[in-house]
Amino acid sequence: MSFRVVHYINQFFAQIGGEEMAHVAPEKREGPVGPGAALNTAWKGEAEVVTTIICGDSYFAEHEKDAKEQILAWVKELNPDLFIAGPAFNAGRYGYACANICKAVQDELGIKVLTGMYEENPGADLKEKVLMVATTNSAAGMRKAAPTMAALALKLMKGEELGASCEDGYMPNGVRRNFFEKERGSTRAVKMLLNKLAGKPFTTEYPMPSFDRVPPNPAVKDLSKATIALCTSGGIVPKGNPDHIESSSASHYGEYDITGVMDLTSDKYETAHGGYDPVYANEDPDRVLPVDVMRDLEKEGKIGKLHNLFYTTVGNGTAVASAKKFAAEYAQKLLSAGVDAVIMTST
Amino acid sequence: MKLEMGYINIHDIQFSNESKVENGVLYVDQDAVKKLVLEDENIKSVTLDIAHPGESVRITPVKDVIEPRVKVEGPGGIFPGVIAKVDTVGSGKTYALKGMAVVTAGKIVGFQEGIIDMSGPGADYTPFSKLHNLVMVCEPVEGLAQHDYERAVRFAGFKVAVYLGELARNLTPDETKVFETYGVKEGIEKFPNLPRVAYVHMLQSQGLLHDTYVYGVDAKRTLTTILNPTEVMDGAIVSGNCVSACDKNTTYHHLNNPVVHDLFEQHGKTLNYVCNIITNENVYLADKQRSSDWSAKLCRLLDLDGVIVSQEGFGNPDTDLIMNTKKIEAVGVKTTIITDEYAGQDGKSQSLADADPAADAVVTGGNANMVIHLPKMDKVIGMLDYVDVIAGGHEGSLKEDGTIEAELQVITGATNEMGFNKLSAR
Amino acid sequence: MAVSFVILTNNPLVRDRYAGQYSVEYQEGGYMDLLVRVRDKVHAGHKLLTHPLSGSVKPNETPYKSVMISQKRGTMDLGSLSVIEEAITACRKFPVRYEGLPQRVLEDFQLVDFTLIDSAIPSASAF
Repeated sequence: MSFRVVHYINQFFAQIGGEEMAHVAPEKREGPVGPGAALNTAWKGEAEVVTTIICGDSYFAEHEKDAKEQILAWVKELNPDLFIAGPAFNAGRYGYACANICKAVQDELGIKVLTGMYEENPGADLKEKVLMVATTNSAAGMRKAAPTMAALALKLMKGEELGASCEDGYMPNGVRRNFFEKERGSTRAVKMLLNKLAGKPFTTEYPMPSFDRVPPNPAVKDLSKATIALCTSGGIVPKGNPDHIESSSASHYGEYDITGVMDLTSDKYETAHGGYDPVYANEDPDRVLPVDVMRDLEKEGKIGKLHNLFYTTVGNGTAVASAKKFAAEYAQKLLSAGVDAVIMTST
Repeated sequence: MKLEMGYINIHDIQFSNESKVENGVLYVDQDAVKKLVLEDENIKSVTLDIAHPGESVRITPVKDVIEPRVKVEGPGGIFPGVIAKVDTVGSGKTYALKGMAVVTAGKIVGFQEGIIDMSGPGADYTPFSKLHNLVMVCEPVEGLAQHDYERAVRFAGFKVAVYLGELARNLTPDETKVFETYGVKEGIEKFPNLPRVAYVHMLQSQGLLHDTYVYGVDAKRTLTTILNPTEVMDGAIVSGNCVSACDKNTTYHHLNNPVVHDLFEQHGKTLNYVCNIITNENVYLADKQRSSDWSAKLCRLLDLDGVIVSQEGFGNPDTDLIMNTKKIEAVGVKTTIITDEYAGQDGKSQSLADADPAADAVVTGGNANMVIHLPKMDKVIGMLDYVDVIAGGHEGSLKEDGTIEAELQVITGATNEMGFNKLSAR
Repeated sequence: MAVSFVILTNNPLVRDRYAGQYSVEYQEGGYMDLLVRVRDKVHAGHKLLTHPLSGSVKPNETPYKSVMISQKRGTMDLGSLSVIEEAITACRKFPVRYEGLPQRVLEDFQLVDFTLIDSAIPSASAF
């Protein structure tokens, strides 16, 4: 008896259509569709795709909750040995969907999962949570990706221990695993140095923990003349969350006017953040976004003035790439508005 | 400086009534060796044993591993400043007995030390399982202080290695290799188009059981300096380091330094191997600053293009490693570093105690916290009773059936930071 | 002129051997407790003079730790802070294994810790 696999793909790989068909709701079909055939070939009967679930990328992004609910229900009923998604290559929303649906299946159903995508796909932010095969950035890499994914999938289904990331082809997932290289360490070091000296590419065996350090700007010379803005990843929004900023994995940020607002009160503001106990933030939103004390400082003449707009999003599981994009955008707005400095609060 | 190394392959060791090397067999006169060791009044008794590759034998607690060598031509002798006089070594001709080692074992303190399994899964992780080992277990006289005992065992190992090396003096080597480096100007003229590369060799230097000696000088009390790479082949650097079996550099590692050998492999072809720079790993932070400043200063002064930096030990040396790397990169010299990792048993923790983006080319000898199961061996040379408190072991590590469950840390040389092994991690 | 220093330790051997010779602040407790105490001192403006992860015996395999800090207090030294914080992070990944060790082993651990800190004395007294 062979292992049973459920495969998740998007509308494009199911040959329903491109971007114009990205709105299609989830559907399921028996047997392999599109890349599932390549997986079946690689498994040589040891495992097979019994069902393929297809979902439009826009549908998943815009109705994530509904899509997940439907897909989880199907997968629960099918109870496969493995849930596999993609590979998504460099398609951002497809990668996001693959990573997130895998995480949901793994966390909520306890079923083993595997996906694949390009390392810079935003979905790869979840690489420490969901096992992902690293692929090239275009679908032309399918020929290489499918056998790697198939082999790793079989290992998972057989309950075999994973090899190191470079052996089994998955993205480094924060778990260091020992293995034997072909050459001794000193030989590898000499080769690495020669490549480095020649300006050729080389891969470190231990990437230093990444510090995305931003050098601080020079100090504000005269605070009493400066315009200061408040920004937060703590999710403070006008009551009712008019722009529907997601409680986790935010896809956008909000811009709100606080002209004349002296104090954030519980009847007018709240937090949209789903990653911390909201009681204290909802009771007094100044605890996260301190408009009240900024107004005091304004009155005392310690700062020139508080900028009339604040920018807010939810930092809870939000992709670093998304956060960078938000900030790059509103930093421009702040600059053109003549803001001198920003106080950024987190939670 | 030019050194010719002659290799005499040893494929068996046997006890005999006369010490000699004949047809690749090392015959050892036990009484002669014992007499030599017992010259030191601090040693009460010594037991000799032989362990061959593939045997069901466990050697523990291992202190040092030493390859016998003899200086056949040229100034000085093996282990200058320790056994021989301090004359500068590294030129002329030296013979080495390959395929074998002298292993010293003894319970110097009630913890640490290492395991060499001659077969089974543990054997894959230690390079010494592939050698024919003459094991010496030395017992101290009653009441001997730990540091005197350590010193006595250290010297006993060197003396026996030199005694055995001497047996090869008049033999014809099975293989000969010539190693030569040049003066600064001479090297540039000879290899005008090759990058100038050196080896920054960090030496453990923190205190009792954590020391290294250079020409007999305690490395703690040295300033960063330069060696000809061939000097280490004559035993210019010896180990007094007994802690953290997996990533301590034994004297065998120093004599057969893999970075030195692999740089020589490329010397004159893809790079110009200029020299070794030795620097220490002191406990005192201002010493670290001075030593790493000097490493960078020498790299600049020698107009190097690149260096390989190797570390020894855990924790404190991570800071020296990162300081050296940062400062050497900052003077425009490219680095590749060799280390090992303590990422926790689950592999999820941060591997090093220090980090910097400048260290962008790292070779790793693997995660020392990985748990390993070692089966019972038919014979134990040494003693097992301390295994529960060995570094990387814990209460209950030694099971009643003689098996051991512990971290890779317990195995001598398993995650060596000179890059001696193939073990790595991702 | 020697730098004036204080040794923070949980090692009775360090306390006894340096009694009347150097300034030693002894406190009972584990390896981590000692590191935290060092961090508090760094917060208070003392400079770290020796590396808190001295020695190859892993944190929590030995219970003993001795660290040298400056007697003088100034503004908080960020270099010292980063070293002690890294040490605390590193210590967390090693489970405590020193409970129930025989006295003989404890004494050996004390001796090794003593020699580690003792190796810093000539450097600290050199200028």
